[in-house]
Amino acid sequence: MPIIEVKNLTKVYDYYKKQPGLIASIKSLFKREKLFTEAVKAINFNIDEGELVGFLGPNGAGKTTTLKMLSGILHPSSGEATVLGFTPHKRQKEYQKQFALVMGQKNQLWWDLPAMESFILNKEIYEVSESDFKHNLDELVELLDIKDILDIQVRKLSLGQRMKCELVAALLHRPKILFLDEPTIGLDVVAQKNIRDFIKKYNKEKKTTIILTSHYMDDIRELCKRVVIIDHGKIIYDGLLDDLIKRYAPQKILKVTFNGQGITKKEAEIFGKVAKYNQYEIELEVGRDEVKDVAKNILSSEFPVDDIMIDEVDIDEVIRKIFKEEHQ
Amino acid sequence: MRLSEISMNKYATITKNESQRLMAYRANIAAHSFGHLFEIMSQVIVWSVIYSKATILNGYTFQQMMTYVIVGWFILFATSNYGFEDKVAKDIHQGTLSNFLVKPFSYLRYMTAISIGRISFAMVVVVSLEVILLWFMRANLIFNNSVAHLLIVLLLMFFAYFIRLFFSILVGLASFWFVDISGFYYSFNIISKFLSGAFFPLSLLPAAFVKTSMWFPFAYTFFVPIQLYLGKLTLSQGLQAVAIQLAWLLGLYGIIKIVWYRGLRKYESAGI
Repeated sequence: MPIIEVKNLTKVYDYYKKQPGLIASIKSLFKREKLFTEAVKAINFNIDEGELVGFLGPNGAGKTTTLKMLSGILHPSSGEATVLGFTPHKRQKEYQKQFALVMGQKNQLWWDLPAMESFILNKEIYEVSESDFKHNLDELVELLDIKDILDIQVRKLSLGQRMKCELVAALLHRPKILFLDEPTIGLDVVAQKNIRDFIKKYNKEKKTTIILTSHYMDDIRELCKRVVIIDHGKIIYDGLLDDLIKRYAPQKILKVTFNGQGITKKEAEIFGKVAKYNQYEIELEVGRDEVKDVAKNILSSEFPVDDIMIDEVDIDEVIRKIFKEEHQ
Repeated sequence: MRLSEISMNKYATITKNESQRLMAYRANIAAHSFGHLFEIMSQVIVWSVIYSKATILNGYTFQQMMTYVIVGWFILFATSNYGFEDKVAKDIHQGTLSNFLVKPFSYLRYMTAISIGRISFAMVVVVSLEVILLWFMRANLIFNNSVAHLLIVLLLMFFAYFIRLFFSILVGLASFWFVDISGFYYSFNIISKFLSGAFFPLSLLPAAFVKTSMWFPFAYTFFVPIQLYLGKLTLSQGLQAVAIQLAWLLGLYGIIKIVWYRGLRKYESAGI
């Protein structure tokens, strides 16, 4: 039984066209041309309890719009979404108590107060009992290691610390579903990893269903088994990340470094398709099944091999390829 | 957790947070009060000069006029919500409203709770300043000792606070349709202040004007309570004013609800 069901969900935004220039601005006071964009076009997907699904796509693809419809901020133009048996845009309290939305670009914490005050407020808003609150808070604070910063005004925290507090605020009421919109945006590498590790662990331990959107491929790679790729409001892939790589990247990358005389390009081409070349370092694109044999051949050849490495094609590369194909 | 917080409901916590938040801006609030003092001083000076040429002006003695200024100042600031239009407007056009829409609570009640938090903190400053003012000006003021009068004045102030709050929220909600409303509320604030009698007693103007201004709720937030304090209105007239305030509050509440749901529909389709 899926916990989130989306059928033909569509969102159309209307907006007004305005030509540049003063005269056009004056004209537009009287007559405006109304235009429509389909931000989300009849998408379908189901998500089961405990899944951690990554939404991937360029800016303006419809990821955030979809999350906003699932959390009830936006009315769908047509189609329907059912989450935990509720229709999100009716904004029933029973539904709202069972999910949380964290937007990396917008904060819900009180800027001028220590994070603790916002936590207490959320406890009241979500009607969490005193003992649950204490238990959940201790656990989250421990997991995220933020004991020292609870009593510091939020505006004095670093972006990474603030994001951790945002997550605590969102999880105090133990939501069954967590929508994360760009949770690692703007964070440094270490902070990104901390947040990522936390999300992974939390999903594993609590079986919370999580939908995550991100621009950072590392987030998706580390966290999500399943990805939904959205572009121009349409789902162009929905399935396992591993399958995606196999389908769109039938090759692996073989990186070989040489010492001594190195290798000429011609010599390198004997082993397979050369993707990158310089005298001392080459990259070969080799079919998945042949990779072992090719590596063996290289090692047993007379070329002065220094090191050899087998690598997956970069996911960024795969995704770029998919989008490129889509646009053709 | 501290015991006092256990029984507090969500809106009370919001009120508490807001007044606590303001404490972080003590210096700013003190600076505000300093400006207020100069505003009062300039009024005192202007009226003193005028009354050096006359003893009575449209039924106001010098003492009554001074009381109008000093007690009026108290009413004005005790019923203020300190730039609330802007707060509502920002939530809407910066999209922070989304944060509230996904939670199991009411944004309008949240706003009211915030506003009460603001006033409870500001009240401490306003009351202390007023006490100082009353002391310094005591020779030139009228003190009303009637408990019944004072109670009704307080009641009028209480409802005046909500009338002004509702108007501010309503003006703020205009942000659903207009991106920048600052010009709008600047004008609104000045006109409503004028109609309330806060610049000068409405009775200095022709009777027709006073009558017209009674069609608006603003006079009931300022002019009427002071008239009652000065004894220019009877108790039953005061009670009647309370009833009119209540009617306005009900009406405004209804309008806010309509505008809110209309605006929300716009917000939902625009996806800010």
